[in-house]
Amino acid sequence: MPPFKDEHILLIAPGSQTTLAQLGLPETFTPARFRFPTRMFPAAEKGEYEPYRIRERRQEAKISNGTDRLKEDVEMKDAEPAAQEGTANGETTDKPATTEGAEQSEGAVEIENKEEPKTVEEILYEEDVTSDQGAIYPIENGRIVDWPCFFAHLTHIYNTLSPPFHTPIMLIAQPVWSARDREAITQFVFEKFKAPAFSLMDSALAVCYGYGTSTATIIDVGKGKVDVTAVTDFAVNEHGRGIALEGCGGDAMTDRLVELLGSKGFTREMCEQLKRSNITEILPPGTPIPGDAATARQGANPAAAASTGADGTTNSVPRGPGDGTQAGTEDNNAEDDEGVLDVAAIVSGNTTEYLANMEKEKATNKKGAVEPKQARLPNSKKEKASFQFEEFVPLEGDDAVVNGSRRYIRHSREVEVSVERFLTATPRQQSEDRLTSGVLEDIATQIHHTILAVPDATKRSELWDSLVIVGNGSKVRGFTQALLGVITQKFMLSPSGTIFTSEIPSTFTTPMPTGGTNTPAPMGQPGPMYHPAAHGVNPLLVAATHNNPGMPQMTPGTPSMDLSHHRSSGHSQTPNSVKTLKLPEYFPDFKDQGNSNAPGASGNAGGAAGGPGASQGGRGMEEAVFLGAQMAAKVFFVLDQGLSKGYMSRVEYNENGPSAIHEFVL
Amino acid sequence: MNSSNPPQAAEYGGDEVSAIVLDPGYSTTRAGFAGEDAPKSLIPTYYGKYNANGQEKLIFGDDVFVTPRPGLSVHNPIGKDGIVEDWDLAEKVWEYSFTSRLTGGKPGNPFQNGLNDIPHEELPTEMEVETHEKPLADSPLLMTESGWNPAKAREKTIEVAMENWGSPAYYQARTGVLAAFASGKASALVVDIGASNISITPVHDGMILKRGVQHSPLGGDYISSQIRALFKSNSPQPITITPHYLISSKTAVEAGQPPQAKYKTFPPEKAPDASYRSLLEDRTLSEFKECVVQVWPGPNKLAATGPTGVSNEEMARTTPGRPFEFPDGYNQVFGADRFRVVESLFDAKAALPDPDSPFPAPTQAQTVPELIKASLGGVDVDIRPHLLANVVVTGASSLLYGFTDRLNHELMQLFPGPRVRISAPGNTAERRFASWIGGSILASLGTFHQMWISKKEYEEHGPNIVEKRCK
Repeated sequence: MPPFKDEHILLIAPGSQTTLAQLGLPETFTPARFRFPTRMFPAAEKGEYEPYRIRERRQEAKISNGTDRLKEDVEMKDAEPAAQEGTANGETTDKPATTEGAEQSEGAVEIENKEEPKTVEEILYEEDVTSDQGAIYPIENGRIVDWPCFFAHLTHIYNTLSPPFHTPIMLIAQPVWSARDREAITQFVFEKFKAPAFSLMDSALAVCYGYGTSTATIIDVGKGKVDVTAVTDFAVNEHGRGIALEGCGGDAMTDRLVELLGSKGFTREMCEQLKRSNITEILPPGTPIPGDAATARQGANPAAAASTGADGTTNSVPRGPGDGTQAGTEDNNAEDDEGVLDVAAIVSGNTTEYLANMEKEKATNKKGAVEPKQARLPNSKKEKASFQFEEFVPLEGDDAVVNGSRRYIRHSREVEVSVERFLTATPRQQSEDRLTSGVLEDIATQIHHTILAVPDATKRSELWDSLVIVGNGSKVRGFTQALLGVITQKFMLSPSGTIFTSEIPSTFTTPMPTGGTNTPAPMGQPGPMYHPAAHGVNPLLVAATHNNPGMPQMTPGTPSMDLSHHRSSGHSQTPNSVKTLKLPEYFPDFKDQGNSNAPGASGNAGGAAGGPGASQGGRGMEEAVFLGAQMAAKVFFVLDQGLSKGYMSRVEYNENGPSAIHEFVL
Repeated sequence: MNSSNPPQAAEYGGDEVSAIVLDPGYSTTRAGFAGEDAPKSLIPTYYGKYNANGQEKLIFGDDVFVTPRPGLSVHNPIGKDGIVEDWDLAEKVWEYSFTSRLTGGKPGNPFQNGLNDIPHEELPTEMEVETHEKPLADSPLLMTESGWNPAKAREKTIEVAMENWGSPAYYQARTGVLAAFASGKASALVVDIGASNISITPVHDGMILKRGVQHSPLGGDYISSQIRALFKSNSPQPITITPHYLISSKTAVEAGQPPQAKYKTFPPEKAPDASYRSLLEDRTLSEFKECVVQVWPGPNKLAATGPTGVSNEEMARTTPGRPFEFPDGYNQVFGADRFRVVESLFDAKAALPDPDSPFPAPTQAQTVPELIKASLGGVDVDIRPHLLANVVVTGASSLLYGFTDRLNHELMQLFPGPRVRISAPGNTAERRFASWIGGSILASLGTFHQMWISKKEYEEHGPNIVEKRCK
């Protein structure tokens, strides 16, 4: 078999919400070029699926100029979503372009469909790119729940990227997939796509490749679930692995916000955007919540904090202005005028240009208007803050009917939120099913369980020292810090226990109860940063350094340097320290997640209902899994040429069948 | 190959299906595909039961350790002696062990999986699809059982496998035999230190010697109860174990100082059951066993006097202690005590008395050396030396630090004549899953294929066939 080439490798990483895909490996690895929403819509034919929602519309049309009008129609419709995306993500570079391309090809197909019937009453099939009504999500919490739909989705991706014949495929496997699931996918890929080689790589292992490490604890925070995996020497530890832990993902945090804010007129979509905005933050345990310092100290006792924080604040603390939170109050808030677009201008004129202008205007307005008062205080000290809520509002009425296709405008307004925004990770009150202590504590417990289940006891402390937190659910500001804080206060062993004498140098800040929890450490202190929960460093200092992109992310460490010498060999308890792994620096396109929440980077038009490929700002190391996939593909397909058994070739498939994939599973 | 040439159409046409090996134990249940070197699926045999919205719900798998749930209670379908007590739940736990990681849920409808393009008019109008797909419809199943599993339980097991799971072929093998296979031996004396039981199984030429099978309840759970007894009588103060789920944060304290932790409280109607707490306490105890507990390596008992005239207790005291920190932050260094908790596996008199313990005080006949003696007494004199030369140690509790050293010394003392040789794999997985691995080897052998009990044979002869075929 001739060697595989860099440009002919197809990578697909399916997720419950978004599927990442790319054809070919670029010179320097970049975030995935394509982002497909993992959903399909039932087509007219039963058992078949379409990538976009197809709506049927009847329209009277004159036979003479019918085709002309139709064409115009399609062009208009294509231009609009492109414009929306362009404005929504000013800084994303190539994504809008590619998705646009995909759309246009779809558009072309559509024209053909429409031109055929030239009767007086025509049935138009139009794609509704902004709606996910009726969508089928074939993957739920990582599990494939609808196989035909999942395969249709894979086929759609394959066709969109349309690789040449001699293209090996690498698929990133969700941890929850069972052995039979993997076999079914293998069979499908070989028989449907006729792939020359196929590699099925565990997502946790892919992250390890991305980070260039052989041993790590991977915490993948997804939409509805969290996976916790201990990888030792490039081997995934299946036993004790936290697979698809429910109630811990990004959705759980949104649910909590809905619970807190639902009574104030917040919709789920608003909460989702609030969660993604840069004012939402998870404060490290022990950090007082601004505004009610007297009552609530979050984290010291999360359960208690939840009750005081949630219920207490709703009663005692003045909330964000009711005006801003009411839905559709455009006339009594001056800010909101910005969100209203001149419909006539869009309809009549050049949409793209108009929207671009609007955006520019808004940007200039904002500089002057919003900042002055609160500029100095960091977010975690402000009692109230506001974020831009954006939504698509369908244009109804005369315009819509006259012009044919339905259209949407992007509508954005400022919404102010109080301290609820710091409580996303606190436990939900109404959970019937679980005695949860909040997202973070559940994850921490799982990490503890997973690492304890690793048979090789000598690896455990290394696993604690190399946590890797990925997944877009972890993008909430402060997530990593707070998780480390929870682990520290729940599981960290005291130094005296490990050293079993009290010969600790007095300068060594042991977390003694008397150790002055409120005394900030000297600012210029060199060496490892101490975690605020245990050592009483000013949390702002930590937050500030954490958000600094120049600083590697290993700050949350704890006293680690000396302890290793005192560890008795082999059998010793863990953790003595907890750290996150340092990012590889040689892929500038994958950025530290600290950046993703920088002001202005969080805008995501449309949220969950966004158009195809609607990308969110600042793709960072949350998607390290894709970086790892590229690395592994390069190694397995190009460098090794099959020596490392990294992929299954077609010959092997023909001889041994799908179940042989387990010998190649990584 | 040019990338513009379409690939050939040759396609896989075989139907090789690997068998599933299921090794149900008292503490954990192991399942995986035959031919692999470790079970893919390892779940606790314990399951959780709780009420949500007025409905009774069951939880299987590791989740029971991680997520506390309102009113959660923990049960085990298998009795203390390793024999199934609750068949309905045992079936569910076992089923979960292979459906969760191996076979998955229901396979997709073959007409819609995108691989069979059937023209529309040819699509059968009424498909004869069984409404209830059986979980093992296309996998042969090899199950393990203890050497003292009664005939009734064996018949029940094949019934479950054949009728409820729809397995096309079935076989049942003894854990002892399989553990011997895992070490590459056809004849061996298998010493299995499990959670609820320790057992001695003499195996000769791949056959179990029934009269020599011995077992006693001094397994890992018994050691846990001994550790609890130690904690109760601990000085300066008795130690209570508070599992992690009851603690929201802990503060470091000096060794021996009372813990300063913030505790979580649950409303009484939602608080998990005592059985849940006990399960999680056991989890801490197994960490304690890993990190602290040590078997007095010998020679001689801990209570005896060593060759130099110094008592072994004295020697034990001079070894550096091992620290352990409890979930609430309490920490202490354990000195000679850490030898004492396991000493009664070898010397019944050394057992720590605890009136509250569910385990009665052990008798000397229940200890490991006596069991081995009794076991060898039950087999032919001629093969005894051969068995002693092939002692296979398995079971997770045999991983206690120093266990094999001590066993070696004890055997040398008991049988000074013949050559005693212990084989205990150093690899943790091989030690813990020996019987599963043996099953994996057995089921993937070409010559084993004729041993399977097929569905047809089962239908002809009934469940009783297992007594005739699986000796």
